[in-house]
Amino acid sequence: MKLKQIPKTDLDYIEFYAKKLRENPEFFKQQKELIESQLSSSSDLTKKRFSKKNFKTEARVHLKEIGVFS
Amino acid sequence: MNKQNKAYSIKNDTIVINRELTKLDLFVKDFLDILKRHSDYLVVSGFVSISTGRTRGTEDVDILVGKLNKTKFALLLEDLFKNEFWCYQGDTINEIWKYIENKNNIMFAKEGEIFPNIEFISVDESKPAKYFEFTHPQKIKIQDFEFKIPPIEFEILYKEIILAGKKDIEDAQHLRTFFSDIIKRERFKEYGLIIKRN
Repeated sequence: MKLKQIPKTDLDYIEFYAKKLRENPEFFKQQKELIESQLSSSSDLTKKRFSKKNFKTEARVHLKEIGVFS
Repeated sequence: MNKQNKAYSIKNDTIVINRELTKLDLFVKDFLDILKRHSDYLVVSGFVSISTGRTRGTEDVDILVGKLNKTKFALLLEDLFKNEFWCYQGDTINEIWKYIENKNNIMFAKEGEIFPNIEFISVDESKPAKYFEFTHPQKIKIQDFEFKIPPIEFEILYKEIILAGKKDIEDAQHLRTFFSDIIKRERFKEYGLIIKRN
């Protein structure tokens, strides 16, 4: 795919990437790695932060503190 | 469009995405397999663009759910708890139902985790734009995971007009470009009127 314009803004890059992805599903593999890396990190942090025994109690205190719900 | 080397194709009005399932997809699939037994639903917002290739993370997956009475909701809750989901807002129907009565969203995650979570959003006719998309779903399929999202044009306009944050505008740009072959211009006019009445 030849570039007609060099991407400059975030939106330009998003458009550029979406066009590449549309024509080549191999790019989905990068996305899968990013998503699963994020989930893995989040899970590790959760396990380190909250005890197994009082997980829900501790998690709810934290979630209220950060404003997820009241 | 129906080529093997393309990122998607259309089969029987269903958008078929040509990729493997991620752990995020499997989380949503697990939840929907239970929810479908009790209510109609629509997956909206961030997961719509992420499932179609937008490369960004999300901590929550927003799902519109048809309004349930307390008895039916209690059955859904029992089914979710039996299948290792927990609710941020409480462990009993009486604790959680107060949030639904007050029209607050509730969240579910897998036991032992807080992210990703499902944000459970009750919908009825009192929210015209949400109700329109809820009753006009687009089917999408990734491997054996089939689920419902809003019409692509509706999702684009909702992100651009109502949500309108940086992330939403970027999501909309992704959808506009990725689906440029199938987007119907006339739908933007129709849906724009509905969304602006929101």
